[in-house]
Amino acid sequence: MGVAFSVRDLHFRYPSSREDTIKGISFDVLEGEIFGLLGPSGAGKSTTQKILTKLLEDYKGDIEYFGKNLKSMDSSFYEEIGVGFEVPVHFSKLTALENMRFFSRFYRKTANIQELMERVGLWEYRDVKVAEFSKGMKVRLNFVRALLNNPRVLFLDEVTNGLDPKNARIIKDMIAEYRAKGGTVFLTTHLMNDVEQLCDRVAFCVSGKLIEISTPRDLKLKYGKREVKVEYRENGTIASAVFPLDGIGFNEEFHSLLKTGKVETIHSGETSLEEIFIIVTGVEMK
Amino acid sequence: MSSLIKLIAGELNRLVKYKILPVSLVTAIIWIVIFLFLSENEAREITPLLIFVDVAAMSILLLGASHHLEKQEGTIRTMMVMPISMGQILTAKTIASMILAIESAVVTSVALFFIHGITFNYIVLLLFVAIAGAAHAAIGFVLSLRSRDFTSMLGLLMGYMFLFTIPSILFSFGIIDAKYEWLLMVSPSHSASHLITSAVTGNFEIGMVIAGCLYLTFLSAVLFKFEVYPRFKDNAVRG
Repeated sequence: MGVAFSVRDLHFRYPSSREDTIKGISFDVLEGEIFGLLGPSGAGKSTTQKILTKLLEDYKGDIEYFGKNLKSMDSSFYEEIGVGFEVPVHFSKLTALENMRFFSRFYRKTANIQELMERVGLWEYRDVKVAEFSKGMKVRLNFVRALLNNPRVLFLDEVTNGLDPKNARIIKDMIAEYRAKGGTVFLTTHLMNDVEQLCDRVAFCVSGKLIEISTPRDLKLKYGKREVKVEYRENGTIASAVFPLDGIGFNEEFHSLLKTGKVETIHSGETSLEEIFIIVTGVEMK
Repeated sequence: MSSLIKLIAGELNRLVKYKILPVSLVTAIIWIVIFLFLSENEAREITPLLIFVDVAAMSILLLGASHHLEKQEGTIRTMMVMPISMGQILTAKTIASMILAIESAVVTSVALFFIHGITFNYIVLLLFVAIAGAAHAAIGFVLSLRSRDFTSMLGLLMGYMFLFTIPSILFSFGIIDAKYEWLLMVSPSHSASHLITSAVTGNFEIGMVIAGCLYLTFLSAVLFKFEVYPRFKDNAVRG
């Protein structure tokens, strides 16, 4: 597996700011993975994405895109990437289809607009002006916009923010399919559900620094509670007991409960990524 | 089709969809109605002023409105992540703004011909309108990029007009003495006004015409290179 982006000792300061927004972060985004950058508002996630998409260029440090210096790449770089912004980015007086056709004209290779719009449930609204779209419809159109050029790398910022569960599921399925076809995704979000369901690896970003980079599974193994919770019926009421996962096979009390009690549920006591984020960074997600 | 042509086509399409071109045409029609009530001499006298207002004030106003609307819609930001250069984006917007100015000059010229039989050197007029239009597009960008929203841009435009446009209008009404005209040429508005008046009346003061053309071209180049280009991307990215 190759490296899509290699970021080393990245620093960035906005001209009007007294201190760096990005304070020396280093990470790799591997080709074909979904890499999540997770953090509260103001952590530097969007700034990092803007740097990787060449919207901000006065940074310090080294960034390579598939082995090439990012600074040396011209506008043809944008043939290869798709960017889904958090806020809507469409001409409101144009219809959804007019918007998509306008943007797709500038790419050498383009995706099938109808297919994409059908998939996110917008094809039947293709002739409606974007000004009349709801927030969720605009978010879905943003996603279609990001996929217009069949990108090699997809940048998504808060991609499901403002979507109902059904549409959020559709978008997540499409992202997973895109990855399955070899695409690379750089996802910035504060929504834990997105990270847990999508990301191969996740980086915790706080105050412009990366505190931890790992897979969601390894993070849970490292920081999660290792326990099993059993709910059972006793004297007509529901009772529960918690047992340590380590040595569970030799835990007499646990085995006795399984044999004698009327067990209703058994759950491994998984710690959520949000709890792990707080444990690792000491910062609550907002 | 090159990206620049596609961008220009997009700009023109949006001028129609956002009703900017129709509004500009309605303004030109108002001028036509005015011509119907004027004598040939009066029409000939007022024409440079009408074309000048379209080139110098309306183009800045329309460019500012379009810039702030697109900034609000986030479309400039999404165009920054497309395989096109910022130079192409700026060129397309400038040409669209110039087309508006030229459209107004063409409608006015056609109306003058059919109503009063007035003709003038159309090629020279179009050339001067294009030069003045480019300079005022650059000024429109500067005012837009230095303002938070359209309302604050209107404030800046008022300040600009008070400093540069009103003296030129006072000059055209004879309130400012002709001996100060060389000094007035420092005003982009007056340089534009002088060029347009020359083309319509056919009275060319070669020195001033050359100075006006060179000054407006130089001003466009300097403003685009040192003010518009460096600020445009930053303005779009930060929203």
